[in-house]
Amino acid sequence: MDKIILQQAIPQVFVGRTDIRSEVWLEHVQLERGKLYLIEAASGTGKSSLCSYLIGYRHDYQGQIVFDRRDIRTFSTSEWTLLRQRTLSHVFQELRLFPELTAWENVQIKNQLTHHKNDAEIVSWFEALGIADKRETPLSRMSFGQQQRVAMIRALCQPFDFLLADEPVSHLDAENSRVMGELMLAEARRQGAAVVVTSIGHHMDLPYDKVLKL
Amino acid sequence: MKLIWKLLRRHVSVGQFVGFFFANLLGMLIVLLSLQFFEDIIPAFSGEDGVMKNTYVIISKHIAAISGIKGEAQTFTDADIRELEEQAFTRRVGAFTASQYQVYGSLSMGGSGMGTDMFFESVPDAFVDVKWPANLPADEVPIILPRSYLALYNFGFAQTKNLPKLSEGVVSMIAMDVRLRGEGGAERQLKGRVVGFSTRLNTVLVPESFMRQSNNELAPHAQAKTTRLIVEVVNPADDAIASFIQEKGYELEDNSLDAGRATYFLKIVAAIVMAVGLLISALSFYILMLSIYLLVQKNADKLQNLRLIGYSPARVSLPYQLLTIGMNACVLLLALVLVFWIRGRYLERLWLMFPTLQEGATGTTILLGIILFLLVSLLNIIAIRRKIATL
Repeated sequence: MDKIILQQAIPQVFVGRTDIRSEVWLEHVQLERGKLYLIEAASGTGKSSLCSYLIGYRHDYQGQIVFDRRDIRTFSTSEWTLLRQRTLSHVFQELRLFPELTAWENVQIKNQLTHHKNDAEIVSWFEALGIADKRETPLSRMSFGQQQRVAMIRALCQPFDFLLADEPVSHLDAENSRVMGELMLAEARRQGAAVVVTSIGHHMDLPYDKVLKL
Repeated sequence: MKLIWKLLRRHVSVGQFVGFFFANLLGMLIVLLSLQFFEDIIPAFSGEDGVMKNTYVIISKHIAAISGIKGEAQTFTDADIRELEEQAFTRRVGAFTASQYQVYGSLSMGGSGMGTDMFFESVPDAFVDVKWPANLPADEVPIILPRSYLALYNFGFAQTKNLPKLSEGVVSMIAMDVRLRGEGGAERQLKGRVVGFSTRLNTVLVPESFMRQSNNELAPHAQAKTTRLIVEVVNPADDAIASFIQEKGYELEDNSLDAGRATYFLKIVAAIVMAVGLLISALSFYILMLSIYLLVQKNADKLQNLRLIGYSPARVSLPYQLLTIGMNACVLLLALVLVFWIRGRYLERLWLMFPTLQEGATGTTILLGIILFLLVSLLNIIAIRRKIATL
């Protein structure tokens, strides 16, 4: 997939409001493969909605969202499944990890589906992010910041053309945030993929190609 | 798969599944057992020679003292027969035809012999519960005797006279000499061979074709009179039969109606029991569906997260589908084991009552079990898949 295009898209709940000042909603926005985007948002501007639309979880918007040339409303369930396995990776703001599994199992449950990374690579990411000693710890016993790192590792265990990172560093310190940014970017560059980072203030310091205000 | 199961087994309620398991087992057991019991017992009731095969009743006219002397009014007219045929409870009517000539039967055994005057009757072949043998020599006539005659001889006559008891097989080997004497001294000498015993027909029976031919030959001028009718009825428990017979002043031979009622009653009971079993099965299926739905609902977040990281609905449905199929298979196996165990028990008792009873087939029961298993499993699979797809 090379392009994500939003044409006059707007969440249903915003329809009719006249105070929308957004560079995304009701605009023509094109996100291209290989580039790095930051979407800055204030609370309540529909950031999570945008991510939900792009991952095919919600469809309560007006206008059009197009992947390459296909309106995403026309995707079938199995097409979405394949997209989520091979084309579009997502670090959810609410993480969507499994608290009853260990950190390692949370990553494995994705990698067993995609068979994208070997154990050594995954171990090296755990080490780089400073949670190597937490691999066998049940997720429920990890802090949110630690969980965010697990979520990022999981998101990288698949081939993708676009990586959607919804506030990936909200609970990380500057150092960990920098390491995660580098790691994410390295993997994206290797795959020639685009990265779309969202933030409500605290964000990774990266060479963004474009910054959009939501 | 291991990880997915580790996730999705959360909230699996052992209590609910045990409840389903036993409810389904009970339902399946009742359905299969009632079917198997029916298969096993029904030959005793409705076989060719069954103790209670009786959708047939035999009707005669009441013999009153006066009419008996005058020799009238005991015969059925064509109008009587037509009226009977028109009744709703009647399937078909057959007339007894009596021989219009004298019959003398004699038996010689090792020099000493005995003989008696007797008679023949015939009914249409379709009403006879024993098969007439094909290809008997022309000078031999097949005869069917009532089973009660044999019992009367064995347990009454032979017992008190210290004579040997006769089995059906032995009687069938004896050929007796039969002399028919008709109008104007016309005579015919034949061999008579007992080819079977009837529980349905209480008379000395010969084939209808023989009767027609011998009556024509030996009593061409006599008018055959119908004194008894055999009626196949739709439902022997029908009250209309008894009231019709009473109204017309007819008489019913022995208690054939009661036997027929017993068969009919048995069929109804078996059907009711099976229906109850099916109902329990349906309810247990409902329990299973409810607990699966509850499980899916409780694990909705997990299932949704799995979907969002790229798992297909089929793949996340699989653990629950395997779970239900596994349980259904266990239920089927256990139910069949129980059915055959119980069957062993009741067959012993049945054989005491009906020593000649043949075991019924078991194929239908197993087949029904498999069909129920497949049906329930298929519905489970579809329902789970659909439920998960809505998340």
